[in-house]
Amino acid sequence: MSPVSLRGASELPLCSRSADTMLWNRTGSWRFLRPRYQDKTAPCSEACPAGEDVARVQLLAGQGAFEEAWVRIREENPFPGVCGRVCYHPCEGSCNRGEYDAPVSVSSLERFLADHARRRGAAPPPLEAPSTGRRVAVVGAGPAGLTAAWFLRRWGHEVELFDAREEPGGLLRYAIPEYRLPTDVLGWETAMVLADGVRFHPGRTLGEDLAWDDLAGHDAVFLALGHWTPAPLGVEGEDLARDGLALLEAVRRGNTPAVRGPVAVVGGGNTALDVARTLLRLGAEPTVYYRRRLEDMPALPDEKEELREEGIPIRTLLAPRGIAARKGGGLRLALSTMAVLEGEEGGRPRVVPSGHPDVLADVEAVYAAIGARPSPGLPAGASDLGGWSPVGVHLRKVMPRGEWASRPPVFVGGDLVNDRKAVVTAIASGKEAAIAIDSLLRGRDSAEAWPAIRVGRKGAVSLNRFSGGDRTLRQDHVVRYEELNTTYFQYLERRERPRITLEERRTGFDQVRMRIAASMALKEAERCFHCGLCDHCDNCYLFCPDVSVLRDLRAGSREIDYGYCKGCGVCVVECPRNAMVLEEEPR
Amino acid sequence: MRRVLEGSHAVSHAVDLARVQVISAYPITPQTHIVELLAELVADGVLDARYVRVESEHSAMAAVIGAASAGARTFTASSSHGLALMHEMLHWAAGARLPIVMAEVNRALGPGWNIWADQTDSLSQRDTGWMQVYCEDVQEVLDSILIAYRLAESVSLPMMVVLDAFFLSHTYEPVDVPSQDAVDTFLPPWNPPEVLDPANPKAFNQLAGPDYYMEFRYKMQQAMEEALRLYPVVDDEYRALFGRSYPMLEVLPAREGERAPLALVTTGSVTGTARVAQQELRERGVSFDLVKLRLFRPFPQDEVRRALVPYERVAILDRNLSFGYGGIFAQEIRSALAAGGKGGRAPAVYPFVAGLGGRDITPATIAAVVERAGGGGPPGDILWVDVRE
Repeated sequence: MSPVSLRGASELPLCSRSADTMLWNRTGSWRFLRPRYQDKTAPCSEACPAGEDVARVQLLAGQGAFEEAWVRIREENPFPGVCGRVCYHPCEGSCNRGEYDAPVSVSSLERFLADHARRRGAAPPPLEAPSTGRRVAVVGAGPAGLTAAWFLRRWGHEVELFDAREEPGGLLRYAIPEYRLPTDVLGWETAMVLADGVRFHPGRTLGEDLAWDDLAGHDAVFLALGHWTPAPLGVEGEDLARDGLALLEAVRRGNTPAVRGPVAVVGGGNTALDVARTLLRLGAEPTVYYRRRLEDMPALPDEKEELREEGIPIRTLLAPRGIAARKGGGLRLALSTMAVLEGEEGGRPRVVPSGHPDVLADVEAVYAAIGARPSPGLPAGASDLGGWSPVGVHLRKVMPRGEWASRPPVFVGGDLVNDRKAVVTAIASGKEAAIAIDSLLRGRDSAEAWPAIRVGRKGAVSLNRFSGGDRTLRQDHVVRYEELNTTYFQYLERRERPRITLEERRTGFDQVRMRIAASMALKEAERCFHCGLCDHCDNCYLFCPDVSVLRDLRAGSREIDYGYCKGCGVCVVECPRNAMVLEEEPR
Repeated sequence: MRRVLEGSHAVSHAVDLARVQVISAYPITPQTHIVELLAELVADGVLDARYVRVESEHSAMAAVIGAASAGARTFTASSSHGLALMHEMLHWAAGARLPIVMAEVNRALGPGWNIWADQTDSLSQRDTGWMQVYCEDVQEVLDSILIAYRLAESVSLPMMVVLDAFFLSHTYEPVDVPSQDAVDTFLPPWNPPEVLDPANPKAFNQLAGPDYYMEFRYKMQQAMEEALRLYPVVDDEYRALFGRSYPMLEVLPAREGERAPLALVTTGSVTGTARVAQQELRERGVSFDLVKLRLFRPFPQDEVRRALVPYERVAILDRNLSFGYGGIFAQEIRSALAAGGKGGRAPAVYPFVAGLGGRDITPATIAAVVERAGGGGPPGDILWVDVRE
């Protein structure tokens, strides 16, 4: 305290105040807790099998940086145009916003960003990696094979891509109907993969015109043949049924069979629903028969909803028992009525014949779509999982035993190994294959790579992290809803994708979900909480009582001025998205 | 312009006319109408001000303290528990010498829960360093807000304009609303002696140790005394512009040019009732002079002494209670009269407590009080009116 030199009250100001600035008073020395900026992992990224940086993508999209957002998705997944349409979007299921009002429509945004990039003629940055001279064979040009090919090529390896069919895409090209995934959208994304110099060899079927010897000259092989062999119905008159998958492929190829009148579709997966909706568009009157209940159907809720809108009946707890030809044409499908076996835990419930009389359906055709098995061509002795050892969550490797000991290492992925057979899990498989093969070719052990590149704990991996990108700085902690400060959010309606009219849907193969306007995309992106990700909202800056949040607006960065920060923690509490942390001051 | 206005809305219109720049308040009955209308005026763009929503009265006062520190003309309003919650910040506003104006609607404190008129809430804030005036009618409420800004900004102290719950806040009366031009003449923009300036950063209201603290308090007391000197000057100016005057204390004799033996001191809307009682009693041959006390802080000791010493008896009607002592106005007036007049003679003081928690004080109540103060027997320390013992 200064010595008293005051002669009278009139010398004083109205109230106590310093004569000059107080910058000399470095209050940081009082601090025993230290706030720090720390980006964390958003639950959507953890839930996405492809480990997409969803929160960052939403942040960029919300700023109108659509192309940058698109590039950001493609760091992890070269198929946003496909996934924005057909993915089962587990990101939305784990979205923290779901506990607040409704999840962010991540899939709509993903589709918008891809469509926008396509309209703008956007292209990925040019290939820069120097050639490694190593050769990789990828067999199967579905989402898993294409993904592996894309990343391996990006990293400088020579890639030969083989497929039994004429065009790349696999199931995306030959099974998913046009009204869900237009061919031109798929073609644009597969062309980008091939444009990098991946050599595509169409019409080569493994075990027929593609022999193992043909692959011998490669340093590694990735097998992703998919599941194209239809599962048998296992009922009398089975040969009278048609294969649903074959119908989808024929229609994709432009061969539209003439079907009229009532037809039965047996199954409850996406394929069954696609078959039914395709038949409707061809002019038939399909009915779906499923052995379990509606809620047990493995088809996506969106698909079920759209099927219902289109007026296609679903009859449940009916299992096919036999198919017979009717006199004068047509078929009679006999179905056993089923009952749910109560009291069983986990998974889909078991059903058993109820004992009630059969249901008979007189139809023009029966389409079976009850699942598929591995495509032909897998080498004998290696076609069962026992011969494959796990490498990643979505990847296995053929054990180098017997004749395989002398062959190049063979990795297996996609539907051949995935429990959940979906496009995005196939993509995850392709990513893991790329990582495992790249590590192998560079003489590293891929087992060491996994822990550092995981996104959360559900198995997704990040190639941004694998390449030493900015996501390596992010903490693995997955932000929970309770860790957000929702005071700063407001209720905003989720924007669903508009759909074309039912009339259009019943008569043609136009894409059901309409284009998303940029204005709508911006509004939807605005709903994202950016869990664990600093989006420069500046709450820390506004609340800091010590003016100790320093902003560099040009660099877009914030830092704490520890010379003055007293460690009160207000910034951390008021951070809406848990992108800060308060730690004990090191002693 | 003549308008029929609710008391609360008279406050709001006065705040509008004063061109207040920042308003922050938290709703509480019976104050809410004041800030409701202000919120509308701001939202409609009529009043060019920032309306800061807060989660409590403590924050409301903190918000206007912040705004006033930056040089803005500020307003808030509260009542009862809300005012009590502000208590800490009331000291701060005065100590920081910020001319904040608040409308304080007198309401009883709970428990028992009570939303009706009672002066104990504002009188409990006696020692916070705020100036206080008590209003008799709606016109006086409106005019007092304008006078309060002028006075507060002249001496750098905050000021409360106090009005009775419902009797004033929710009652419509014809009111003369002054023109904006005239108000602008009376109340120029505030020219703060010191403001927060990011270009010239300083620490405000920081530590003042024993070496300095007392001088700051001395200056506050000087400011209060200056306000007493300035009050009549400001009131004269107001009368010149608007034709209305509100002396800090006003003697209303029963008969012009005469002094009755008894003076009855009232505050707030009770004065209006007492005017009626005075007339009725005079017709019945009972005379008392009515003394309307308006200014409570700074307390006009000289005026009180000068006006009341000549009376034989002084009755005081308090709608408030300091537990363990008695009516608070009575306490202040007794203290002022303690020295007495020439020769030390002081009037006998009759300290009545009436109308707590909104109980009616009617002309009949006042007639009873006047009768009880009619002399004979030493007055007690506290004379309860209409209480069922």
